[in-house]
Amino acid sequence: MRCDNFVENFVENCLFKKWIFSFLVFALFSLSMVGAANAHKVMIFAWVSGDTIYTQSKFSGGKKVNAGNVIVYNQKGDKLLEGKTNKNGEFSFKVPGKTALKIVIQAGMGHRAEWTVPLEEIAAEASGAAGMISTGNSGDKGIDTSKHKVSVSGFTPEDVQIAVEKALDKKLKPVFKILAESREHGPSVTDILGGIGYILGLVGVAGYFYSRRQKMDTHRQ
Amino acid sequence: MHISEGVLSGPVIATGFALAAIGTVIGLKKLDYERIPRAGVLSASFFIASLIHVPIGPSSVHLILNGIIGLLLGWAAFPAILVALTLQAIFFQFGGITTLGVNTVNMALPAVLCYYMFGRLIIRKGNLIESIAAFACGFISVFMSAIMVGLSLMFTEENFFDVATLVVAAHIPVMIIEGIIAVFCVAFLKKVQPSMLPGYIVPQRVFGIDPEIERR
Repeated sequence: MRCDNFVENFVENCLFKKWIFSFLVFALFSLSMVGAANAHKVMIFAWVSGDTIYTQSKFSGGKKVNAGNVIVYNQKGDKLLEGKTNKNGEFSFKVPGKTALKIVIQAGMGHRAEWTVPLEEIAAEASGAAGMISTGNSGDKGIDTSKHKVSVSGFTPEDVQIAVEKALDKKLKPVFKILAESREHGPSVTDILGGIGYILGLVGVAGYFYSRRQKMDTHRQ
Repeated sequence: MHISEGVLSGPVIATGFALAAIGTVIGLKKLDYERIPRAGVLSASFFIASLIHVPIGPSSVHLILNGIIGLLLGWAAFPAILVALTLQAIFFQFGGITTLGVNTVNMALPAVLCYYMFGRLIIRKGNLIESIAAFACGFISVFMSAIMVGLSLMFTEENFFDVATLVVAAHIPVMIIEGIIAVFCVAFLKKVQPSMLPGYIVPQRVFGIDPEIERR
């Protein structure tokens, strides 16, 4: 009986090794595909620029969310507005008021993510934007008039602030874009190996408890 | 297939957790000593399978492999899938912690159903029936999961038929791929380790295997 058990275990082990081998091949195969694959997660990134809020949504791995629902809530959770992303996963809207915003993307099939725009960001931008609207005309006509102003009356601190903010918005736009692009990080090899390690560990724990139970059973007999 | 945080309503989440807990307890009770490594290997396969993606439509879908997992594990598919989903939620941010129960049920329940539906058909003499059953197992398990995703989303904001048709349509390529994988997997196991397949009748005293031990 004992001998039978041993033979059985031996055969099982040999065959099981084959199985593990095939699994490892499969695992390596999947690891090699990780680079090309996009993960199963959606995310949204929003930034304020002037009086407009830009959002960009995508699945991790870089695939843009096409025609996803973007819903904007205020601090209290009331729905303010709603829209659909374009082909590039972008959706922009005017600042709806002085409130922190919660922007939610729904990409279908239970995919959802949110992004919060804090009140400070909007308040700072809104005051800047309001100022910009009033002085917008002179600003738009060109630097010549403002330069002219320097010689005549000089800049008021507000003018400087608005000009700086406007320039920063323009210059920082690509930076925000890059930030939005780089914010996603798909599962890394470390994550994957870590997960497999946890599973192996759990197998070990389960095996330990079973072997202890068996030992106790034999002890009792 | 993974439902994200904040999509589902409270009662759906609670029901999901309750069903997942029941399934996991039954699964752990049925998980005998020899099946522990098997459950671990399949859990790891499930964990990794979600990284193999098929980009389709507005979303992207990935392999699930719950048909094979159900076929080889039966009720033990519940704990195996629960573990893999937990790790996916933590490491990859797929799905979420609050939706863990619902996601587990959505994927493990079809696996168990497939075990009862096709388990007996897999070990047949006829290769054709066996292949058809294996294909159907891979195909239908994903199909049922898609329907269950539709069911879980139905109680929140979206219309059941819209979501269900969308999810099913998006997963048709995955269903076909999984069906083919299941056929190959079953054929391979039948050659290498037929005792892993359900409904396997132990031949008397081959390699000295005692039928008593095998049944345990």
